[in-house]
Amino acid sequence: MPPLSSPASSGPKTSYHEFYADDFSPRDHYRLLWDHIRATGNNALETKDHESQLALQTEGVTFTVYGESEEGIERIWPFDLIPRIITAAEWVRIESGLKQRVRALNLFLEDLYGEQKIIKDGVIPPELIYQGKDFRREIVGIVPPRGIYTHISGIDIIRDEQGDFLILEDNLRTPSGVSYMIENRIIERRILPEFFNKYRVRRVEHYPSLLLDALRCLSPRGKGTAEIVLLTPGIYNSAYFEHTFLAKEMGIELAEGRDMVVINDIVYLKTTKGLKRVDVIYRRIDDDYLDPLIFRSDSSLGIAGVINAWRAGNVAIVNAPGSGIADDKAVYPFVPDIIRYYLGQQPILKNVPTYQMTNVTDREYVFDNMERMVVKAVSESGGYGMLMGPSSTTALRKEFMDRVLENPRNYIAQPVVYLSRHICYMDGELEARHLDLRPFVIYGEDIQVVPGGLTRVALRKGSLVVNSSQGGGSKDTWVLAE
Amino acid sequence: MRYLIEHETILDYPAAVREHHLELRLTPRQDTGQRLISHRIELEPAAERHSYQDYFGNGVDYFCVTAPHTCLTTRLTAEVETLRENPFDFEPVPVYQQKEWYAQELRQTPALYDYLLHRSSLTPAIMKLAAELDCAVPRYEAEQVPLNSLLELMAWVPQVLSYGAGSTAVHNDLLDAVRHRTGVCQDFAHLFITVARSWHLPSRYVMGYMDPGILAEGEMIATHAWAEVLVPGGGWIGFDPVHNLLANDRYVAVAVGRDSYDAAPQRGSFKGGDAATQPQVNLTITNQ
Repeated sequence: MPPLSSPASSGPKTSYHEFYADDFSPRDHYRLLWDHIRATGNNALETKDHESQLALQTEGVTFTVYGESEEGIERIWPFDLIPRIITAAEWVRIESGLKQRVRALNLFLEDLYGEQKIIKDGVIPPELIYQGKDFRREIVGIVPPRGIYTHISGIDIIRDEQGDFLILEDNLRTPSGVSYMIENRIIERRILPEFFNKYRVRRVEHYPSLLLDALRCLSPRGKGTAEIVLLTPGIYNSAYFEHTFLAKEMGIELAEGRDMVVINDIVYLKTTKGLKRVDVIYRRIDDDYLDPLIFRSDSSLGIAGVINAWRAGNVAIVNAPGSGIADDKAVYPFVPDIIRYYLGQQPILKNVPTYQMTNVTDREYVFDNMERMVVKAVSESGGYGMLMGPSSTTALRKEFMDRVLENPRNYIAQPVVYLSRHICYMDGELEARHLDLRPFVIYGEDIQVVPGGLTRVALRKGSLVVNSSQGGGSKDTWVLAE
Repeated sequence: MRYLIEHETILDYPAAVREHHLELRLTPRQDTGQRLISHRIELEPAAERHSYQDYFGNGVDYFCVTAPHTCLTTRLTAEVETLRENPFDFEPVPVYQQKEWYAQELRQTPALYDYLLHRSSLTPAIMKLAAELDCAVPRYEAEQVPLNSLLELMAWVPQVLSYGAGSTAVHNDLLDAVRHRTGVCQDFAHLFITVARSWHLPSRYVMGYMDPGILAEGEMIATHAWAEVLVPGGGWIGFDPVHNLLANDRYVAVAVGRDSYDAAPQRGSFKGGDAATQPQVNLTITNQ
């Protein structure tokens, strides 16, 4: 197989600018905002910027980075006050593409944990699944209600040099960031209410009520009697802020594994008034730690017996155990085939071209062009276990080549895509920074995409790494109603 | 043959434990090689029994003892009739059709890939094993029926590992057993499986019981372990490298899996207290 066409070499070298059409004028949908910013002047912007930082601080909007100290450091959520605007037409494409993708991925999961027709038909190589760390044999044969595995998906979208939206990554386990999407909107509305008068921006603040409704529908005792718990690994988790935020917004209990017990296949919450039956668990801990009886026996974060309760149909687990195999980065290159196989449709949103390290031709090409590649470990996220070719040292590239050769199934590579840019207010100046977008998809009665998402910004000039854990920032994301 | 199996395990805890969840894989399996006539599983303290069949086809019974306790007893009573008098009694698929036969099986049942591809510290990659050996790994003779190579492999395993000899504890690592040149039945089975998988033959681990009449010298009556390989025409054939025997009607299979972890007879999780002291096992196998 000849190497994939590489956008890094064949396409334009400059990234797409979200805000400017050319050097002098903003794109049409940014014109009103631009006029307003110019009329307001730099001093006013500085005041607004200061106010937004203060608001985030008093609201206690934080996230945790793991670093030198084991317990992690809590930081104020980094927010840029210039909003990112997505037109109604652009959103129609994103929305339909995401619905299609999430529908297909759920059919894929149901098939993998059931008949495995897609393997028998030769569309997916069996090695890919059976060597995947997140294929959970323990749940084969269990069908979750209505075959839905990923009730909540956070799918990362980037824009390539031509301005096309591409899927970068599917996050189907415990995707985080939605609380920041909402907080960003709350702050933006408070600090810059005048911005909103000029545009018809679609709401995102109703996300918790959409999610709550989807969770209620899953209750084995019926929608009317739904005791829902958010299961958190605890205060040292990087997304603990989000766990408390969502539990509070939805009015559900925030609990740790030790607060719950399973007796005869029924899950209970221990309360001061005794045991209370639990119907739905919105878990924010990984499969590995979910049930020490079934998965990692050394886990103290989970609930012993919860998988057996789930198998018995007495409790719903959101997202369903085993969902991780569908966002395994080695499965990602097959998602377009998965969409065609189950839906008989062409994918609306394309993937980033991806090299499989198990393929010798691909691998040699990647090794020869390492400084133009991103190399990713297949089952890690948050920007961990990743090599950014352009900014890497020879020694690091060598180290990654060794790691790839040691376990090719564990790595993929992609040509570096120069993510689109947007203006950001950086220390008194408007400067361009690269960004991506993580919209959130809820699969309840039907599939809904919340119009907006978390726009993540690479704060360092020229950097293409947007992950919050790696020093990324954020913007409020406006989807226009018309 | 007909066997009555009585298998009791007593776990003592130094301090009371509670919310004790327990999964047992103790029910002898039912297949063409054996028939389960009756079986009963009891627990002390008493608890409600629930069951399901796991991914590998094993019958699982599970319980939850919520109240604090310092002792937990499980008791299995089972009557089994074994039918495989002569494991060689099958019509092998001709050598030239073998490759296609395996391809067909794998296409129809992708789950068989687990028995080919699984690698763990119990069944490591063949290169890692070879690095620890001072003798060559037996070669697979592709021009013959697999049984020939497998019988040679079965005879080779005891040349690498000597039985027991001070290693009463189960190794968590096959290479560790190989380094010490000693092992118990689990290690023998894992070594066999590791080589058979490198030959690209679907191979799995079996936990079960065997007739006390074939115990080797110095071998205690206990649960036993061996390996099964999918053989063209014969289905799953059992190989017991400890006794250099094919599993016949003197073997009672209970649970299977990729390695001993999947087929563990007992798995538990509890709160409070420390791990149990050495379990007390009372096992009798009576040939009826």
